[in-house]
Amino acid sequence: MHGNGRRRERDCKKKVGREKKFFAVSKLQHFIMFGSSGSRVLNVINISYLQSRSKRVWVRKPLGSPMAKSKIFRITPKPVIPEDEKAEMKRLFDNYKNSMKSLRQYFFEQSLKQAESGEVAQMKHRLEDQEHERLMEENRLENEKTAMLREERLKIQAEKTQKNVLASLIKKEREAKQHEIQIEDFLTKQMSTPFIQPENIEKAIEDALANPVNFNFALDLDGYVYRGKETSIDMIPEEKRERLNSN
Amino acid sequence: MASAVSTFTKIGKVIRLNRHGCTNRPFYHIVVQNTKDNQDGPVIEQVGSFDAMPNNKNEKLVALNFERIQYWLAQGAGLSDPVAQLLGLSGFLPNHPRTLIQAWKNRREPPRERKIEAIKGIAPPLDNPKL
Repeated sequence: MHGNGRRRERDCKKKVGREKKFFAVSKLQHFIMFGSSGSRVLNVINISYLQSRSKRVWVRKPLGSPMAKSKIFRITPKPVIPEDEKAEMKRLFDNYKNSMKSLRQYFFEQSLKQAESGEVAQMKHRLEDQEHERLMEENRLENEKTAMLREERLKIQAEKTQKNVLASLIKKEREAKQHEIQIEDFLTKQMSTPFIQPENIEKAIEDALANPVNFNFALDLDGYVYRGKETSIDMIPEEKRERLNSN
Repeated sequence: MASAVSTFTKIGKVIRLNRHGCTNRPFYHIVVQNTKDNQDGPVIEQVGSFDAMPNNKNEKLVALNFERIQYWLAQGAGLSDPVAQLLGLSGFLPNHPRTLIQAWKNRREPPRERKIEAIKGIAPPLDNPKL
């Protein structure tokens, strides 16, 4: 391990050296440089500005630059894989994918189990239980209180309704009595009025024929009333004359 | 083909290698990152490291935080191929098909010359007195 450490230190020194060299290159040959994020950092001559000193900078040919002359006619051969080998590869990859899926599921279940069985989780459970109990107790007390209040309220209401019902009954009785009295009065009044009965209808007709009544009347300018067929003031005796007063 | 296991929703995070060495000296951090962030960008969590250069015992050292990797896999984070291969070799996950394919290709080719003898079978016990 010590050897490794020393080697790393030396390599780091080398890295510093490389960076210096790379500056020189960028100034001289004005390569287009790309930041690690892929954005263009510089493509101008004589700019010694870097996006960030700590980050790696990728130096390469500009995008779209032609293939090197020496490589133009080089065609890489397509790798030939036998059919059986291909099938075997596919089988292996499918198996791997499936087993990874199951493993992920297993890990997930394990994590759930661990989350439930841990000391912290148990503490949480206990606290939740306590909280639940406390809340239930509070709820019970509140319910009792409201039940008491409701009982009182209902009692008062019942008394009130009883009183009201009694009052209304008394009132109704009184009204009924009054109504009866009124009906009796009305009946006696009706009985006392002289209606035309079937027994005395003949007499009534005769009376009506005997005393014809004329309701027509006329007025003159002085306000004298002429009833029936009377037309002249001189025909009416002095004491029977009627006159309307204009006030 | 429909699978019995439900698919995980992607959360836009991936476990992958970030190169932290210098020129000619590869060294990687195994990190959890947002998929769109790059090597320089913010790292959510480092879950291991990988020294790709063999040491004097011809070992490539890998450190992995299995707990956290498990957590992130359960969350639905993706896995880059190299990390998947490393995890397969470590025995945490099933072997990645790329490893097997590479192995049979290597077997077919004539063996290359090596500067250091490859360890075959069980590794010899450590002879570092400090350990």
